[in-house]
Amino acid sequence: MTRLTCPFCGPRDLEEFLFRKTLPEPGASAYAQVYERANRLEDSLEHWQHVHGCRAWLLIRRNPSTGEVLKLELLGGGGP
Amino acid sequence: MKGPEPRYSAWALLRARLAGAGYWRPLWSGRRLQDAYDVVVVGAGGHGLATAYHLARDHRIHRVAVLEKRLVGYGNVGRNTTIVRSNYLLPENHYFYEDSLRRWERLSHELNYNVMYSPRGIVDLALSDGEMVDLARRGNAMRLAGIDAELLDRRGVLRFAPELAASGPRRFDIVGGLLQRRGGTVRHDAVAWGYARAATALGVDIIEDCEVTGVRTEGSVATGVETRRGYVKADRIVFAVAGHTGAIGEMLGVHLPVETHLLQAMVTEPVKPLVSSVLVYVYPHGECYVTQSDRGGVLMGGFMDGFPSYTQEGQWFRLEDVVRSAVALLPQLASLRILRQWAGVQDMTMDGSFIIDRIRYDNVFLNGGWCYGGFKTIPASGAACAALVATGTAPDLIRAHGLARFATGHLLDESGGGPFPVRL
Amino acid sequence: MSPKGIRVGSRLASAPVRFWFDGRQYTGQRGDTAASALLAHGVRVLGRSLKYRRPRGLLTAGPEEPNVLLTVGSRPAVIPNVPAPQLVLTDDLEFRSQNRWPSLRCDLASALQAGGGFFGAGFYYKTFMWPSWRSYETIVRNLAGLGEAPRAARLPPPTIEHLSCDVLVGGAGPAGLAAALAAARTGARVVVCEREPEYGGELEFEGGTIDGRPGAQWIAEVAAELARRGVRMLTDTAIVGGSGGLLIAHAEPGGLAGHNRIYRIRPQRFVIAMGAVERPIAFVDNDRPGVMLLGAAERYLARYGAAAGNNLVLFGNHDRLYAAAARFLAAGLRVRAIVDSRTDFAMAEGGTTASGLRAELQRGGVECLPGHAVLAAEGGVTVRGARVAPLASPHDERHIICDAILVSGGWSPAVHAGLHEGGKRRYADCSAAFIAAGQPEWRMSAGASNAALDLAAVVADGFAAGERAARASGAAGSAGPAPVASGDGPPRLAPFWSSPASTYQEKRQFVDFQNDVTVADLRQALAEGFIDIEHIKRYTTLGVGTEQGRTCDVLGAAIVAELKRETLLAVGTSRTRPPYHPVTLAALAGHRVGQQLRPLRRTPLHEWHEAHGGVLEPAEYWMRARYYRANGADAFAAGVAEAARVRAAGGILDGSTLGKIEVAGQDAAAYLDRMYLTQASAIKVGRSKYMVNLREDGMVLDDGIVLRLADDRYLATTSSGHAGHMLAHFEHYADTEWSGREVALTDVTEAWAVIVVAGPASRDTLRAVLGSAWHADLERLTHMDFATGRWHSRELRVLRAGFSGELAFELHCRPAIAMPLWQALVDAGLEPYGLEALDVLRVEKGYLVGAELNGQTTPYDLGMDGLVKLGNPCVGRALLDRPAFHEASRPRLVGLRAADGKATILGGAQITTAAASSRPVGHITSAAYSPALRQWIGLALVARSLAADGTELVARDPLRNGDTPVRVSPLVHFDPNGERMKS
Repeated sequence: MTRLTCPFCGPRDLEEFLFRKTLPEPGASAYAQVYERANRLEDSLEHWQHVHGCRAWLLIRRNPSTGEVLKLELLGGGGP
Repeated sequence: MKGPEPRYSAWALLRARLAGAGYWRPLWSGRRLQDAYDVVVVGAGGHGLATAYHLARDHRIHRVAVLEKRLVGYGNVGRNTTIVRSNYLLPENHYFYEDSLRRWERLSHELNYNVMYSPRGIVDLALSDGEMVDLARRGNAMRLAGIDAELLDRRGVLRFAPELAASGPRRFDIVGGLLQRRGGTVRHDAVAWGYARAATALGVDIIEDCEVTGVRTEGSVATGVETRRGYVKADRIVFAVAGHTGAIGEMLGVHLPVETHLLQAMVTEPVKPLVSSVLVYVYPHGECYVTQSDRGGVLMGGFMDGFPSYTQEGQWFRLEDVVRSAVALLPQLASLRILRQWAGVQDMTMDGSFIIDRIRYDNVFLNGGWCYGGFKTIPASGAACAALVATGTAPDLIRAHGLARFATGHLLDESGGGPFPVRL
Repeated sequence: MSPKGIRVGSRLASAPVRFWFDGRQYTGQRGDTAASALLAHGVRVLGRSLKYRRPRGLLTAGPEEPNVLLTVGSRPAVIPNVPAPQLVLTDDLEFRSQNRWPSLRCDLASALQAGGGFFGAGFYYKTFMWPSWRSYETIVRNLAGLGEAPRAARLPPPTIEHLSCDVLVGGAGPAGLAAALAAARTGARVVVCEREPEYGGELEFEGGTIDGRPGAQWIAEVAAELARRGVRMLTDTAIVGGSGGLLIAHAEPGGLAGHNRIYRIRPQRFVIAMGAVERPIAFVDNDRPGVMLLGAAERYLARYGAAAGNNLVLFGNHDRLYAAAARFLAAGLRVRAIVDSRTDFAMAEGGTTASGLRAELQRGGVECLPGHAVLAAEGGVTVRGARVAPLASPHDERHIICDAILVSGGWSPAVHAGLHEGGKRRYADCSAAFIAAGQPEWRMSAGASNAALDLAAVVADGFAAGERAARASGAAGSAGPAPVASGDGPPRLAPFWSSPASTYQEKRQFVDFQNDVTVADLRQALAEGFIDIEHIKRYTTLGVGTEQGRTCDVLGAAIVAELKRETLLAVGTSRTRPPYHPVTLAALAGHRVGQQLRPLRRTPLHEWHEAHGGVLEPAEYWMRARYYRANGADAFAAGVAEAARVRAAGGILDGSTLGKIEVAGQDAAAYLDRMYLTQASAIKVGRSKYMVNLREDGMVLDDGIVLRLADDRYLATTSSGHAGHMLAHFEHYADTEWSGREVALTDVTEAWAVIVVAGPASRDTLRAVLGSAWHADLERLTHMDFATGRWHSRELRVLRAGFSGELAFELHCRPAIAMPLWQALVDAGLEPYGLEALDVLRVEKGYLVGAELNGQTTPYDLGMDGLVKLGNPCVGRALLDRPAFHEASRPRLVGLRAADGKATILGGAQITTAAASSRPVGHITSAAYSPALRQWIGLALVARSLAADGTELVARDPLRNGDTPVRVSPLVHFDPNGERMKS
């Protein structure tokens, strides 16, 4: 997996980031939001935090079979 | 059980030497895929093979196939740190893990295959009085269940594992530990091969290079599996595909409470005996477990890489982190060299305990969600899963481990980590 | 026996170096390795193999050496398993051979060789079962394990350097140098890592010219130009691994742990020019000391002037044999025969036609035997001859007297670094081996790593790769014309893996030397159904040794292919794993070891605690005082004394580690309502409230006091160990659910020190210490009120709370005044108490001590039903209605006391309904001896059905304390109406 490019901080080493969770389907019930995971081999939608950096939370779409980052954006809006 | 022919023994080795080539026979290969089976087990890892073995042995179901995408034992059964133990807190877990440990103790004889169960002891180290209380809670629960456990003070730890005395004061020093003497290690590959051989002898067909790509269903019942080698009818289907459990869920249309993570392990060059037991060192935001194989390599593992991955390639920073932790524990390791690092993909459930249950269809079963605990449970998992598949009723040991527990709240959260495999 | 060692001229300085091998003194030359010096002394037997303990000598001249590993240094800090070719001699260096007892010459366990057939592949899976493996294990472990285990390590941490460059070139052989040259000329910033101490790779001994210059001259010129162009050239430095485009290089000059350097390199492009590893051929007794790889013999001769023998037989399957033979002749050695396995006679004969070699070889009396193979290495302990036969009629054997057999079965490209992060193997016909293909765009192979095998192709390939890499990284210049090289010519290799042998003899045809894996083992594995190369590797241990299959993985796979009658392509080789070269733990661990393992956080009062007998223990990264030595001999005695003093008079506690998060913005109140079980919006400015957070699954996550500083500003406190977790948790919701609204979170944990002043004397002492400006506030504050102001002109906040059940105040002050304030309180007569006493006070009052917040308890379990009923729809609330959470078996937090009022109870004890029962119905979370009540008291989580006051239960503590009858009591053991706190 390559580095992650934080919208604020630029490309940074993976160890600065913290993965939190894989997201369930949109509109999932309260139970599903906590417990269910969409386990797609090549397309995973996830919440990460640049915890040892600017601490921004990120929405990342990745291919967990290759590590490729398909999309990365700020969760909180705003940003540079 | 008498075990397959030729029976393995020193005598057989001698006879083989005199007989020359041709004395030994294939352990499992050479079977043909049939059109229909009573049970199709998907995945020839430890759990799949053990399930098939127990279906045939305990329940006399001999028309059993184990279908494997790659090779027997190619997954996590061959990619772990070979530790076996039953030092769990929750009764639902420790009775099950203890059942497994008791099976390990006699498995070599049962399978007529030396799996090298080595009860060298496992010590969970405590770094504060508060942690000693946590260990006492766990150890007391074990003792009430008839499982061996001893609480050691610092001196006791150093007596049991004198190699720990080589360090000066650590950043996080050891105040004591919880010892399970019957915990230890098992030779990982031998487990897959031993079960494969024994199951084959009981008539089970183990078919490698036969990926299952789908399930054919009629209403609430599955009728068989689609494979790369064609359709196979099955009365019952068991998925035992650790690491790909989540993907199987998707294939069946179920979002499972599972995330797939990478766990690394690594081994040094072989040296003469250095680490006498299994040492587990957990400190703030760090962790390692260290043991030494019979060949002499020092084995180490620690945290998961920390995000979903199927790559089987670990991140370098985690390797460094594990090494750092191991050197913090045993500074004398510093001049050894890492020879090889590997990573297993493991399905982490949302309460940290495994799942053996029906999934989606009346006759489809899931054996997975093993988190960190897959290898050590293989014998118990095989027996319990086979019982569920054969009788339709979950045996007591796994009654609590159904999928419904997340919705009902009957969680088996051993560590209290909650529905997040990676902690903040 | 051994041939007399010889030096035939060497590039080394003639300065002598004295060293000790197995207790005997030798002299080498400065620059020698242990391998070259012992070879020059004619010492042939340098180790024993792992399984059969067969005597072994040098096979290679590099880190892939499987046979000769040495234990260096003296006990306890020995360094085991150092490959002899990597160990550079220094004065009085001491090292020993391994795997032998009592001595190298006479090894008792060598009797194991007699059992060759018995101890075939996987024999241990078939026996050693009765009565149990454990009864054999100790012996097995002592026999296994190669080198001696270090009992200590005295290694300085490595130097770590971060490099960023356009092009990283791995390897400085001809391909690597050409690549670096092209990249540098194109204008790229280049770093080169070379594993060996010198540049040039096989140019060192291979004939040929580049741009009309001899190899050595070209190397020197290129090195000079690279230096001029600012290329960073790292020798003795191997690229060992990495991930995500980060590459890790490890420098270990002299092959001795202790001088480690680590480079963390982030290139735009990475050119793998790591050459190829020569492989042996399997023939009977091919492990006999005196059998050496051809290239290794050439290197020992060219670099060190050390000859592998005086009378040589060369055996291989390519043209390089002939050029090498000529070089040995030129060095004055005798070459008895060249045994060329190629049955295509034109090809084999052709080897002698190049460059007029034929005449040269004839003059040297070299017998050329095309279409022949060496069937066996003959001799006693060391080689004394070769048994040779034509492949067409293998029974027509003849014997050639020699003292060394130099073997070469071709070269396997060093693919390791190209097989991760997307790389795949591709079969390369010309070298009968695999190369790395399917590379990510930032990585490419060149030269021998890319299966280019003659000098001209190697240089051209390297140069082209260097230019390509430089351009891809953005360099815009021109590399100019490529160097033109001519060398030994293409080797025209024809695959040949094992010489004819009977099935019985296959037991002595070695494939993996270190692990004693023979052709017979491979055959047996196949017979037992281990037909995939991955299975064969695991079953036979092929390639799992310290060299990780470098010399043997392709050879083993090829022999398996022959036995299976398949192609090598179809068989493939087993998966490689990082690191690419073995690397010491010291180097990987870096400098964050010992006390630097984790940061150490100190409160502003840390030094005071240390200076005043505080016994500190870790609390996450903080160190906190558990107790003070003056108050008792151990934690228990001191804790009781300190707690008693707090109740009797007062005391002070350093609470600075408390997590503090400031929550500001016009939506702060609503946001906190969402984050906490109860409503923060209901708190009035100047007031505070004890609040609880739930995790998403409904379990209690943390508790703490929340202060409302202003309408739009709160201070949320968290428990010390949870501060980081809580901040991330808060931020997650602020950035997701609450994004777009005005909530700002700031971690102010270290912006405020906290001193807790507790006990009946607290108010009066504070009046004296804080001064008259604070008198009104101190009188005014009721429980959970706070006041803000200044002390010594710095900000100070006084909150009336303190988790002790006493009249108490939390002083939140700026760190600059923490020490003077603490000292003033001490001077005013208050004494410090530690965490042990705090726990006692908390248990007495039924406050959560910590073990109750274990991530397994719901708010119902902790008796917070009332708070849930308030109906605040906070995080975690939705899942609180799951049926299991309301069952009678769920725990309930209760007080607990020994039934007799005297016995000891301890936290961590399990609880059952009767001593005969083994089913726990709860456990003691925290317990303490209460000085106020003069008995042991505890908090426990007990099944709801058994939680009624007065229920008789048994505390079960087989680990420490045995069985103790206990009785459920009210949760609050002391001052149940809280009169003291409100006074």
